[in-house]
This record gives sequence, structure tokens and C-alpha cells, in this order.
Amino acid sequence: MGWFWLAPPVLAAALLFATAVGETRIPLSTVVDVLAVKLGLSARAIDAIDFSVIWHYRMSRAVVAACGGASLALSGLILQALLRNPLAEPYLLGISAGASAGAVSVTVAGFGAGLVSMSAGAFAGGLTAFALVALLAQAAGGGAGARGAGVIILAGIAGSQMFNALTALIIAQSASAEQARGIMFWLLGNLSGIRWPDIWLALPMVLVGLGVTLWHVRSLDAFTFGAESAAAIGIDVRRTQVVLIGTATLITAIMVSLAGAIGFVGLVVPHAMRILVGSRHGRLVPATALAGAVFLMISDVVSRIALPGQVLPIGVVTALVGAPAFAIIMIRGRQR
Amino acid sequence: MLRLTTAIVATLGLAPMAFAGTQYPLKLTSCGHEVTIEKAPESVVSVGQSTTEILYMLGLSDKVAGTALWINPVLPEFAEADKTVERLSDNAPSFESVLAKKPELVVTPYEWMIGPQGAVGTREMFDDAKIASWIMPTECVGKDNTQSMDGARKILFDTALLYQGISELAEIFDVSDRGEKLIADLKAREEAAVEKAKALDLPADVSGVFWYSSADIEIDPYVAGINGVPGWMLSKLGVKNVVTSEEEWPTVGWETIAKSNPTFIVAAEMNRRRFPADDIAVKREYLTSDPLAKEMEAVKKDRILTMEANAMDPSVRAIFALEKLSDALAGFGLAK
Repeated sequence: MGWFWLAPPVLAAALLFATAVGETRIPLSTVVDVLAVKLGLSARAIDAIDFSVIWHYRMSRAVVAACGGASLALSGLILQALLRNPLAEPYLLGISAGASAGAVSVTVAGFGAGLVSMSAGAFAGGLTAFALVALLAQAAGGGAGARGAGVIILAGIAGSQMFNALTALIIAQSASAEQARGIMFWLLGNLSGIRWPDIWLALPMVLVGLGVTLWHVRSLDAFTFGAESAAAIGIDVRRTQVVLIGTATLITAIMVSLAGAIGFVGLVVPHAMRILVGSRHGRLVPATALAGAVFLMISDVVSRIALPGQVLPIGVVTALVGAPAFAIIMIRGRQR
Repeated sequence: MLRLTTAIVATLGLAPMAFAGTQYPLKLTSCGHEVTIEKAPESVVSVGQSTTEILYMLGLSDKVAGTALWINPVLPEFAEADKTVERLSDNAPSFESVLAKKPELVVTPYEWMIGPQGAVGTREMFDDAKIASWIMPTECVGKDNTQSMDGARKILFDTALLYQGISELAEIFDVSDRGEKLIADLKAREEAAVEKAKALDLPADVSGVFWYSSADIEIDPYVAGINGVPGWMLSKLGVKNVVTSEEEWPTVGWETIAKSNPTFIVAAEMNRRRFPADDIAVKREYLTSDPLAKEMEAVKKDRILTMEANAMDPSVRAIFALEKLSDALAGFGLAK
């Protein structure tokens, strides 16, 4: 546990990095000045545009990226442990497909007549899809046992397929080139719309998510050996499943509504951390949250500077950067 | 470039001959596709507002059997004529709905409507139906539509292509005399607008940006690339475009735009309500309230000009918009 003191400096360094690097070039000294002014350590006059770019645009974006990365990674960790499926991640439960369908019904089908934003549509869609998947799993007899874990994954696949079909239907009906672009932009994740008010949603949610998960580390350890083993040592299986899966769903849906669908984080980060710190959840949960936060902040920086004058969807970066990195960790882990 | 020059010279060379009346069958190449017109068409379907309005200007509204893809209200002088023309769809019409009008000719300003990936159909589909298809030269001369949905322009848009299109349409319908008169009128207006801007003697560092819309209000906006119609307007009036992409409508981050600090912002107005930012009131609200956007000189000095969206795509309205922008520049008080 000795490395936990590393977490605050690592987070702070990643935040500074994500704030200092962006689409345009701003000297590091200006970045430091802005932070000093904001912390009340300095009263130096700073160009208003530089100040706004650093404080309102990059800083808020970096903080939400950190919250998002931590949320998605934690969701993946929870689902992998509870469902005893290494492939489990938030999107498996139809949350992403539902969010896409929700966003598309707002933008393409004109649901809400321009008054409802795409992110609100995404949030509603994500929750609806998960509710349907949960109901289906319930109806199909998904219980506490190993069979229950299998049933909810199958229900998730069925739900995802249905919502993807709905998305395709709406797009086929009336999409134009520009709309399709707008949707793509969003389906692959995008943090450019983040401003400070979004933090009041993202930060409390990730802290609650982290708190709930840390509270349940013992249960998560037990679930790794199956729901029966968990029940055997006196864990209320049903209640734990509801609380943890509900938490994973909520934090994912919130993040998807803020930043679009960013894949790969929930799958890769927990596995990478398992290789690095072992599979005890007492260490795995904080390590996963920290690594997820740093991973998404750095991915966002890469998405902004990879192509000059253009911003890539962050989902492209998480997959392109994350997949090879994951492969290396996997091979190294095996050799050890 | 040589091909472009040849194409323009060829068209201008043809024009005087055409006064004698069009010789049928008329063979011409439209966006790389051989088209044969057997006689002056009695009925035409126009998929796009700009081609429809050119047909109206040529006094051909009685030949228009159907129109589609509208983004702004029709030019006021054609409101009466337009009432008698059936609107197949406000967006992309289906292939069958176009065929149902049994037109002899279909015309469009966009390859993404009729072209290799046409939403309405391919050129071959119309060939098989024995319907001639014609696409505005503005869409394919110097423009590449294969890499991205809105396409990219390798060379700056020029009204010579628009005049070429008007001339070809007039020739197809055997009304070349009307075509020549319309072109002469438009050229005179274009020159007057440019002269007016020149007389202002603007400083060399005046710059502008054209904001079309955004998929969600706070995310990276769709702005005009360097070589499209807005790029042409700016270069005609001696103003720098802060965007440097060759894409027709690239997404560029607010950070990049704010750091370039444009002298003025042109915001698109449209009837479409697909994204909240389609609404000009929402655009203005964003510019004046967003912590980053409101710091721009253009916003602080209230140099935000509202312009019809379809004046930013190749159409006769581009010339009216040039006049409007030239007048607005005079009112900004920028003279040296």
C-alpha cells in the first residue's frame, strides 16, 4: 500500500500536463501564472483570452477527463468482478447503444425540437437501455449464481443489438452528411463541450462511485470466486449486485452524457492494473481509478495535438493508444 | 489547375455561340459524367435550393416538377412561383419520389445527393431510368468529395464556376440569352461589392470566421474552411480567414478560434432545427455568455454578423452575401 502517496502528485502532474498542452501554443509560464492567480498566490495581469483558454477550457476539460476516465475504469472493474467475465465493460450492458440511440433521436429524428440537447438524450437513452436489459435479465431468470452472470451478459447483447438497430433505423430515415458527421463526432467521444459547470456533475459522481466501490472491496474479492462463494461468507449477494451494478451504470451514463461514448477504458485499465498491482480489490480499486483518470487525460491531450489544427475524437485515441499499450502489458505480465 | 482553367475557358468560349439557340442533342460533361440532352427539358426535378433558385431566376419555374433539400426560405421575389412547385421533401427525397415526377432532367448542387454515394441515387441509376442528371460545376471542379462527407476544396472557390453552372443550365433549357443577362447582372453586383470593400482601405490584419453550426452547443463548431464560399468572400474583400483547413466545413476548437481572435464573426441563420446551435439566437447567447468565447474581440465589440446559411454554400446568394459582408465591414469602423 506504500505507493498510495504517489496518487496526488501523479494526478497533479497529469492535470498540469493536460492544461499546458493544447491546440494552440501557450507558454508554460502563462499556465503557471493562471494557476497562481486562481490559487490567490499572484495578482499578475494575464491576457484575457489566454486566461480563458487555460482556466475555462483546458482546466475544466482535464478535470472532467480525469473524472470520466476514473468512472469508466471503475465501471469496468465492477462489472468484470461481479459478472466474472473478463470481457465485461459498461458497454456490454447496452448503456452505450442506448445512449447512441438517445442522442440520435434528438439530433436526427428531431425529438425535443432542438430544446433537448444531445447529451440529455444520451443520458435518458443509456438509462432506458440498461433498465430494459435488467428487466430482461430478471425475466429470463438471472439470479445470483453463475447462470445469472451469463444471463445478464446475454440480455446486454440483445439490448445493444436492439438499440443499435434503432439508431440505424433513425439514421437511414433522414441523415444528411452533416448530421452523420455530428453523430460520429459524438459516438466516438468528445470532450470539447466541457466547461466548469459540468464538474458539479462529474466530480461528485466519481467520488460517490469510488466511495461505494471502496466500501465493497471485500465483496468484490469474494465475487471473484463466484456468487456462491460470496453468499457462503455471508455477503448479501442480491443487494451487493444491485448497488454495485447500479453505481457502475449511473457513473457511466453520466460520463457518456457529458463526453459521448469513449470505448476501451473500462476494458483495458482494470486488466492493466490487475497485472501491475495484483487482483486484491483493496489495491486494485484505487489503482484503477487513478490509472483511468491519468489515461483519459493523456488521451485527450493526444487527441488535441495529433493532427495540427484538428481535434480527433478521443475514442479513436483511447483505442489506438490503448490497444498496443495493453498488448505490451499483457505480454510482459505473462513473461514474469 | 490546368483542367479548371480549360473548363472555364471552354464554357466562356461557348457562351456567345449559344445566343443562336442551343443545338440538340446537346452533349456535355457534368462532374465527369457524359450527359446527352435530346431537347429542351419540359420537366426537371431540382434537389437543392441553390439550383432551384437559379432555375427560377432563369424564368423556368413552370418547368420545375419538384424540389427538395431546403435550408432557408425561398428568395422573396420567387415566393409566388415557388408555391406552384411541389416540394418533395425538405431534406433528401427518395429515388422513387423523384422518379414519380417523371422528369427529363434532375439537377443538384451536391454530389452527396446524386453521385457515387448519393443519398437520392447514383448517376447510373438515373441513366438507367433515362433521366439526364446534372450537377453544379461548383461541386466538383477543384473539389474532392471522396475523403470526407462535406468534401474538401483544393483550390479557392470562384464565382466563375457559378457562372459556368448558370450558363450550362441556360444552354440546356435553350434560354442562353436569359443566362447571359443574369450572369452580367450578378457580375456587376459582385464587382460593386468588392469595390466598396476596397474603398474602406481595411488594415491588413482584419480577420474573420464563419460559424455554421455545432453538433452540441459547447463542442467544437463547424466553421468554414479556407477554400469554400466564405473563404472566397473573405479573400475578395481582403480579409484573413482564421481557419486554415481545406475541408469545406471542418470542426475547429474554440481554443484555436479564440486564440486567433478574429475581428468579426459571421454566424449562420437557418430554418433547420437539428442541433440547438442551428438557432441564431442560441449562437449569439453562446458567444456572449461562454467564458472563453465572450473574451474574443469580435464579441466584445459586437461584430457578429448574421448570414443565411445557404449563402455560405455555392449559390447566387453568395454574391448577395458578399454585398452584405462588404456593407457590414463598412459599419465596423475598422478603417485605418
